[in-house]
Amino acid sequence: MSDDTVKPTTDPTRADTRLDGVDLERISLYAILCGLIAFYLSPLWSGLTTAFKTQSAFVRTSPLAPPMPEGFTLEPWELAFATMQGGLLNSVTFVLPATVLSATLGSLAAYGLTKLSWRGQVAILVLFLAGVFLPYQSVLVPLRQFWSAVDVAGLLSFAPFLANRADLIELTITHTAYGVPICTILFRSYYLAMDDAMIEAAKLDGASPFTIYRRIVLPLSAPMFAVALIYQFTQVWNDLLFALVLVTSRSNYVVTQSLNVLQGSMVQEYNIQMAGAFIAALPTIVVYVVFGRQFAKGITGAS
Amino acid sequence: MAPLTLEHLTKRFADGDDEIVAVDDVSIEIEDGEFLVLVGPSGCGKSTTLRMIAGLETITEGTIAIGDTVVNDQPAQHRNIAMVFQNYALYPHMTVRQNMRFGLEESTDRSKAAMNETVEETATLLEIDDLLERKPRELSGGQQQRVALGRAIVRDPDVFLMDEPLSNLDAKLRSGMRMELQRLQADLGVTTVYVTHDQTEAMTMGDRIAILDGGRLQQVATPLECYHRPTNRFVAGFIGEPSMNFVDVTLEDGHLVGGGLTYPLSAATRENLQGHTDLTLGVRPEDIEIREGETPGHHEVPVSIEVVEPMGDGNNLLVELVDGETTLTVTVDGMRHVEPGGRSLARIPESAIHLFARATGEALHNREIEDETALLGPQG
Repeated sequence: MSDDTVKPTTDPTRADTRLDGVDLERISLYAILCGLIAFYLSPLWSGLTTAFKTQSAFVRTSPLAPPMPEGFTLEPWELAFATMQGGLLNSVTFVLPATVLSATLGSLAAYGLTKLSWRGQVAILVLFLAGVFLPYQSVLVPLRQFWSAVDVAGLLSFAPFLANRADLIELTITHTAYGVPICTILFRSYYLAMDDAMIEAAKLDGASPFTIYRRIVLPLSAPMFAVALIYQFTQVWNDLLFALVLVTSRSNYVVTQSLNVLQGSMVQEYNIQMAGAFIAALPTIVVYVVFGRQFAKGITGAS
Repeated sequence: MAPLTLEHLTKRFADGDDEIVAVDDVSIEIEDGEFLVLVGPSGCGKSTTLRMIAGLETITEGTIAIGDTVVNDQPAQHRNIAMVFQNYALYPHMTVRQNMRFGLEESTDRSKAAMNETVEETATLLEIDDLLERKPRELSGGQQQRVALGRAIVRDPDVFLMDEPLSNLDAKLRSGMRMELQRLQADLGVTTVYVTHDQTEAMTMGDRIAILDGGRLQQVATPLECYHRPTNRFVAGFIGEPSMNFVDVTLEDGHLVGGGLTYPLSAATRENLQGHTDLTLGVRPEDIEIREGETPGHHEVPVSIEVVEPMGDGNNLLVELVDGETTLTVTVDGMRHVEPGGRSLARIPESAIHLFARATGEALHNREIEDETALLGPQG
């Protein structure tokens, strides 16, 4: 991603043609850009070097210095992965449905709010907007009370496998509900720009409102789905707060919680923590790479 | 295929506390297979009328009937109407074939093979059979227009609605498409309502024209009848290019006086005026004759030629009356050389004048036509 965006400004052939005349403005521009790149990348870089160093090498060298052969090790990665693999798996099983559900529901809600006409749309829209600005912290206590009252584990007691995963089911539903407002707002702006005449043409062609959604609106929403999926995936994957409140059994720990476990109570093993942080961040990076092109289309409004 | 009847059709929009009447008590009977053009300036209610027929807009008052069925409460999906939109409104993610098949898939239970056959037949008719597997964005404007038309035709609807379908095409393509549309409509024999703001399209395409202004129906008649027998000043000015000349005059002592003009009126014409004295004189640019000379004869007036617009087949002249501020548009033969700045005489034949009541715009006297039945058909 970042490679693509930096390239044009550091294109070597363009810089060469400028070298014959001293272009102070351009030189200072590059100097500032390089400084900013160094500034932004240094934490990432020092994290990466630390993850490959032995504990003693970490103590002896500067965090910015690359690992030397005698202090190089892959052990932190192995240890971190061993502790986190359960959390990774748990996260994948609840983040994917939560992401897809909130994007799909958001898209449907936005379709109803833009391309269908019925009474009370504005009131509903206001509720969605308010939902976007509701901070996580403010709902923690009622959320915990709500799920205690519902007792998902009790409801699912006929299927012990699901009952054991009740924490994750609660988390899925909570994140889906919390993600629907922002997804709705994202899709709404996209659908407002969509040609009304096209929807009317489909109507005259005999299609019902849901058929119009399924056959016309949904296929044309791919770029905005990429935006919503990437945004929601990152949000839900990186969340720790809801997980702390809703997930109690250790076997259901999600990735952010298992990363927290790496933080030893007595000795701080920074190399393992850094390796764990990279492992935890990897899936979001993969999602960006996979949906990157569609994402760019979605945010620039091209379809 | 069926006749379409609009009765006392009215549409009111609420605009804050105000109420806007977009369509005001419009009644038109459109015969089975007829090509009716709804024409008027922008904001006259023609598009709203069309959208009410389509079912895309609710009806405030009045009824719309297709055949014998009142369709007021039928949703758009069930009206068996096909519409061609100004921007074509093709489905961008579907191929031409899928675009044309969509309506059949949604409104019929026919097999895929049967639908494909209909699509291919229609595509051949419109000469787009080699484009069937392309996406709309790979097509030119003219080709997209044909696909939009094809999408309407495959459905074999009771009524075709067209909302300024030619306005996004360049001028040359437009005149070609105009003729083709008429031929297609005549071949298919589907009742058609065509909305345009372009009076040329209205004149050339319609079996009949319905002229709207301010939501009110001004006249429904054949193009030539609207041209030669306008019911009021609005129709007279709207139909015809360049527009009819209007001069505000007063009837004094058997003469029309005003704007530098003193025009003797025969007793036969005066009889038509129903006692009105505040009038508007109307005369079409092609009916004014320009001749060289100094002394004005009967129905002649001295003018100076201000602007000459050569059109090849004719010249559009802007002339000013020597005795007043009044300007007139005149068209003369293209083979004749006319210099701006010269003085000439303009003859306004009494057989070609229209007279309107100034206050209401109502036509009191229309021009004479030598062989009326040959030109306009039998009159009621």
